[in-house]
Amino acid sequence: MTQAAKSLRISHVGLRGVVGSGLTASHVLDFAAAFGTFLDPGGAVVVGRDPRASGVMIREGLLAGLLACGHDVIDLGIAPTPVIQHSIRRRNAAGGVSIGASHNSAEWNALKFFGRDGTYLSTAEAGELLDIYHLKKFAFVDWTHIGHVTPEDRAIERYLDDLAANYDFAALRKFRVLVDCCNGTSSLILRRANERFGTEFILINEKIEGVRFAHDPSTTRDAVALQLAPLMKPLAADAGFLFDVDSDRVALAAEDGTPVSEEMVLPLLADYLLPRAPGKLIIANISSTALLEEIAARHGGKVVRVPVGRQAAIDALSTYRPEQIALAGEGTGAVMMPQFRFVYDGIASMLAVLSMLHESGRTLSQILNSYPKYSILKGQVPLVTQRIPALLMDLRERYSDGHVSVLDGLRVDWPGRWFHVRVSQTEPIVRVICEQQGDPPKELFESLLEEVRSFA
Amino acid sequence: MPREHLLKIGVSGIRGVVGDFLTPGLACAFAQAFGTYVGAGRVVVGRDTRSSGEMLHHAVACGLLAAGCDVVDIGILPTPTIQIFVGDTRARGGIAITASHNPPEYNALKLFNSEGLFFNSYERGELLDLYHQSDFRRATNEEIRRATSDYVTAPRLHIERVLRHVDAARIRQRRFRVALDAVNGAGSVMTVGFLRDTLGCDLHAISVDPTKPFPRIAEPRPDTLGDLSNLMRSSGAEIGFAQDPDGDRLAVADETGRVLDNDDVLALAVDAALRRLPGDVVVNLMTSSVIDEVAAAHGRRVYRTPVGEANVVEMMQAVKAVIGGEGSNGGIIFPAVHLCRDSYTGMAFLLERMAETGEPISALAARLPRFYRKIGKVAYEHGRLGSLMQALEESFPGVETDRSDGLKLILPAGAWIHVRASNTEPLLRMAAEARSEAEVEELYARVLSLFD
Repeated sequence: MTQAAKSLRISHVGLRGVVGSGLTASHVLDFAAAFGTFLDPGGAVVVGRDPRASGVMIREGLLAGLLACGHDVIDLGIAPTPVIQHSIRRRNAAGGVSIGASHNSAEWNALKFFGRDGTYLSTAEAGELLDIYHLKKFAFVDWTHIGHVTPEDRAIERYLDDLAANYDFAALRKFRVLVDCCNGTSSLILRRANERFGTEFILINEKIEGVRFAHDPSTTRDAVALQLAPLMKPLAADAGFLFDVDSDRVALAAEDGTPVSEEMVLPLLADYLLPRAPGKLIIANISSTALLEEIAARHGGKVVRVPVGRQAAIDALSTYRPEQIALAGEGTGAVMMPQFRFVYDGIASMLAVLSMLHESGRTLSQILNSYPKYSILKGQVPLVTQRIPALLMDLRERYSDGHVSVLDGLRVDWPGRWFHVRVSQTEPIVRVICEQQGDPPKELFESLLEEVRSFA
Repeated sequence: MPREHLLKIGVSGIRGVVGDFLTPGLACAFAQAFGTYVGAGRVVVGRDTRSSGEMLHHAVACGLLAAGCDVVDIGILPTPTIQIFVGDTRARGGIAITASHNPPEYNALKLFNSEGLFFNSYERGELLDLYHQSDFRRATNEEIRRATSDYVTAPRLHIERVLRHVDAARIRQRRFRVALDAVNGAGSVMTVGFLRDTLGCDLHAISVDPTKPFPRIAEPRPDTLGDLSNLMRSSGAEIGFAQDPDGDRLAVADETGRVLDNDDVLALAVDAALRRLPGDVVVNLMTSSVIDEVAAAHGRRVYRTPVGEANVVEMMQAVKAVIGGEGSNGGIIFPAVHLCRDSYTGMAFLLERMAETGEPISALAARLPRFYRKIGKVAYEHGRLGSLMQALEESFPGVETDRSDGLKLILPAGAWIHVRASNTEPLLRMAAEARSEAEVEELYARVLSLFD
């Protein structure tokens, strides 16, 4: 595994890399032209970016490629990804692109592509886009049909209109909410929400930053524990939320200062949404907590487990009718709800949690403590690609007494306990996840790590 | 049309038909090579009014930012205005997105150094090698700088420079009735302001909408300026000006609506310049001998260069010339304003001469020595070029020759013959000039006879 291979990834998920050493201007131009070729001719494309400094360069290249293919561009400037997706539908655009590396560190950047309805491309569509990119035969138009750029500065306002139609901001005014923006785009929405709705979002790390973020922008319990959780009690906040840079993911801190596992966002929202959508489905990947099944069973819902990764969730969604689904998401704080036509939206997820507090009259820690205790352990081991099949075979034989699933890597279930070993799609590592009802499954976790390491 | 002419990447930069040939990817890569060559710092980007300009601007900005440069967008402006801004603000360099007088489906990148001048021929070679090697600087997130815009400073700097060398009050006093055809190009807004507001002219303008396509052939020549001639007659203007899409070239019509010979326009500008400042003159070797006569009247020397603005500019720097240009394509270069083709200096010079002398422009032109020119082209077979040139030289034994660009035979009394192979087609371009129509016909016929 060379260094170069770790700095650029071109896949069904789009284009992602470390700017300079991996991701270059030429990749951006070609991907933009490929997307411009992929979309229906003539339609407008919505473009926005997160605050990374490299986003300035990438935006220029993206605009050039789209204009050259005859698409007009609606330019939102610095904008949260859910707002970009919202604007695609509102402006009836042919598609959209979000420039930003979300929860990755500042030196990374990425392009995320959206179709006409504002949702991620399906795997089949993304495959077509990739083929055009590799073929490099782009549908450039002649000089009379080249597109033009129009700036749009009402996108956040219109997005807030839509949020206000789905959530009762007036009722949420009573909460004192602490938010760690991690120098990302969530501050743009929340500051405006305070002005417009009188809500009390207290923002930390709210300054938009292009180069140095206050901390690692991942939505994990560890990141919540850095600055957000310790401030909860001193500021007497009712709930705490941490957003990644482009605001599509969220993590939580309870009012007593406890950093909450990122795994809990999905079960919390399932508990909130299932009672009003009895019998509906929750789409989750096979690496997220088994608490979901318990909560689903309580409300007569059902969990559909899919492979890890955005594409699997997107593809699963498209195999059901929207009214069959209550919720879809991952154990990373990325959750889609039907209210927003299934878009990963950290802001909407936060408002749903706050609405839950309001409607139940309970505190966040009271709600969380009412759930059976599950303990999850996550680890990772650098991989040697050649030996992965042998590793998975070996583990499968060793743990053949459990229920085996090979949907994505290897998952083995026993009553009240499971583990999942899989290869990361974004980094050259093997991920090991182990969960148990009650106390942490330390012994199982350690022996799994040891076995995986023996193949490295 | 042969495919290869639709894209040309060479020491002059990159030029082609936008779409399948001049792609955003190529423009971005070329800009990144440029940014690598000039180094991290401010790089100015401006453009003419072509519909592909906005798209190419973004591609160029992407390449420059990727190389770690600060991008300063100065919007739609004439090329000389862009060059002056680069020099005056001491940027690392500048890029003008314009295909000058080429048809609207074309676009190109013109590249300038920190003084706002063309790179010399050696530098241009280095830059081209850098492009071909794809050996670009690739800035990281920490190293990537910003893109900013400033649409007002550049026109002001340019006009201020021109006004330092003309008596604007004198021109304003006359309240000249002036016609303008800006071809809906980069001069559309600025030239109207310059002639009407700065020089106080009673302006009658056509084709000054930068959002519209070019309404005529972009190159301002007598045969493309019918609309201007008509406007002259209907408005009763005393002088008419026509620009090309990027506002560096100038054509002039007299009060009768007749479009002047571009060599004569240059001669009038040379005369105006030499009345102001002492020094020599540089023109390309196809420019009329009228320049030599005008320079001689001021006791000044004329240097000749191969065809091409960059060649003229390079020589002008070397000999510290006070004026120069290329007759046939309407380029007037007055280094005291800036070492670039500048239609604004040309317009101001002619208006000032009219104010000074009180004479109509037709009379000023009529007082220039009269020369007659005939140009044409003929197909030739590969491999025969050398023997043709030799035969031509032998048929005029003992005359002075210039071989810097094809073959020029310098005959007595300002007559000359020039032949050179076209860079783009298997054609020989021929030109002859003499003091009488009969003589020029005879010279031209002697050249043609060599092809029998």
